[in-house]
Amino acid sequence: MSNIEIRDLVKRYGTVEALHAINIKIEPGEFAVLVGPSGCGKSTTLRMVAGLETISGGEIVIGDRVVNGLRPKERGIAMVFQNYALYPSKTVYQNMAFSLKLSRVPKDVIDQKVRAVAEILELTELLERKPGALSGGQRQRVAMGRAIVRDPKVFLFDEPLSNLDAKLRGQMRVEIKRLHQRLKNTIIYVTHDQVEAMTLADRIVVMRDGHIEQQGTPDEIFHDPASEFVAGFMGSPAMNLVKATAGADAITIGDTSIPWALPASISNGDTLTFGLRPEDIRPAIDASEVSTRLTVTLELIEQLGTEKLIYFTVGGHSFVGKAEGRADLRVGQSIEVAFDMVHAYGFSPNSGARLR
Amino acid sequence: MAMEAQGQGPNFSTRGASLFQAIRDNSAGATPYLFLLPCLVILGALLGVPLYKVVEYSLFDNVIIKPDPIFVGLDNYSNLLSDSGFWSALLNTGIFTIGSVLGHLVVGMSLAMMVNADIHPRARTIFRSLLILPWIFTAAVVALNWQLLLNPFGVINYWLGAAGIINEPLDWLGDANLAMWSLLLISTWRGYPFIMVSFLSGLQSVPRELYEAAEIDGANFFHKFWHVTVPQLKPVIYGVVLLDLIWTFQLFPLVWLTTGGGPGRVTEVLSTLTYRLAFVDFQFSQAATAAVSILVISAAFTILYLRNETRNK
Repeated sequence: MSNIEIRDLVKRYGTVEALHAINIKIEPGEFAVLVGPSGCGKSTTLRMVAGLETISGGEIVIGDRVVNGLRPKERGIAMVFQNYALYPSKTVYQNMAFSLKLSRVPKDVIDQKVRAVAEILELTELLERKPGALSGGQRQRVAMGRAIVRDPKVFLFDEPLSNLDAKLRGQMRVEIKRLHQRLKNTIIYVTHDQVEAMTLADRIVVMRDGHIEQQGTPDEIFHDPASEFVAGFMGSPAMNLVKATAGADAITIGDTSIPWALPASISNGDTLTFGLRPEDIRPAIDASEVSTRLTVTLELIEQLGTEKLIYFTVGGHSFVGKAEGRADLRVGQSIEVAFDMVHAYGFSPNSGARLR
Repeated sequence: MAMEAQGQGPNFSTRGASLFQAIRDNSAGATPYLFLLPCLVILGALLGVPLYKVVEYSLFDNVIIKPDPIFVGLDNYSNLLSDSGFWSALLNTGIFTIGSVLGHLVVGMSLAMMVNADIHPRARTIFRSLLILPWIFTAAVVALNWQLLLNPFGVINYWLGAAGIINEPLDWLGDANLAMWSLLLISTWRGYPFIMVSFLSGLQSVPRELYEAAEIDGANFFHKFWHVTVPQLKPVIYGVVLLDLIWTFQLFPLVWLTTGGGPGRVTEVLSTLTYRLAFVDFQFSQAATAAVSILVISAAFTILYLRNETRNK
């Protein structure tokens, strides 16, 4: 277990700056997830920690050592790649044993370690197979096994589940979480999937355009977003974000006024981006007494099984809310929905920053 | 019922016109062969007939030069096999082929890895273009250039002398101890671009992540070469080496135009021997027999190559 500290990390490609002074501090044993859309710099950050990309500025510290000048093998890291990067000509056993063999670890120790890890990951039966004869999930486990066998200070995962189907992704997510609970290694995990980020992380770092938008626990990121971008990125379906005008203890969306105890930084007459998660918009029958009620016409219903997503328009803006899976609703029906304004957010329409 | 049966399938009971009827009736199956027909006819005329004639000549004596060749069966073959010149040419062909292919392989692979390196794209394009140049020259130009370079009064002798490596000019192509080495040098220079280009395309298809994973696993340059590059290029290496073996084994112009098989017979290979037998000694039957021996050995390599290609599909 090691702590990782990334200080003012900069990456430049020629004259283009891709990462702008990133600062992240990860405690020993912490599971940190870097999340963000494509091109936000999360994989670049991870690759710089791994030593696969040069560092244009700043420092990376693993344990108590600045690793900027160290080669990947000297950093005490292990990495799981998106496409697994298993050696196709080697068996599962040889793949897992390769790094130990290069480090001239005695054969019997290698054998013992590989078999122990294979046991944990249920790979014992597959040790003599080559990667080409394995399923996607099995390859993923071998890639993890190859990383674990090295007993690294830090695990780096680069979108490891993105090549798997939805069901397998869910299973592997649980396996990774269990593995972390068991091994308690420090992990940096890169993903663009906010569900993976929320379910796996102790700490989430949301990135955008080479900057960190916000970092914190999953609860903080989800319930206390620092910006419109974070609010919109985390959560599925995404938070409803619409343009609104502040009134006296209310906001106006189009021609509809909704009572709201405005945050202190919002004044009467201000324009803002109003945000409310679909979870906080429900048919009035399911809602608490304190919520604000509006009568709307249902335009679209998506049945997800345990719940239904209901789509409707308020003040010319499309909204999505959630209803019970068994709720008797149909398109065109006029119903009363409750907006739980206690959980509403306001964001600056210019900078996207949270208005508190 | 009988009429129906006739209409449904080809009827070969009456030949000639019925063949066309059969093709017409079974149009879906016959169409591809009709498209292939022109190609088969041309190939048959240009390859099949000469091939047949060469094999035929090898079974006769006094072919071409006399109007009444005599059928001698396998006598020409036993003559050839008892001729020390043939065995010497076969040995030289083996040395030349294996030496050239090894040269192509080592130089081609090294250069492929160098031009695949992460350098400025423009520099990479320039290097690739320059390094492919030997391939675009005809054998005659290559032979002439190297004859000038390796001449006792040529540039190479001058440089080596100036550098103090040799005391007096060497006759690279005329000295019995140096001729084969010189020939191998020329053949390597001429032939490496094919291997380089083939390996370069193979290298570009090796996922970068494999090298990165190896780097994290602690692999150095040689580990990466041995554990990632070679296994990934194995299918390419095998196919390309077999193809190169086939081509080099039959190579004629470069040898003929540089050393002519000499000095003496030290660089005489099967192809130059065949040419010499036919067009210098006018022993066309023996030449045909030597040509058939080249054909048989080349066919063996070709079968290996085709098997490899089928396995890779």
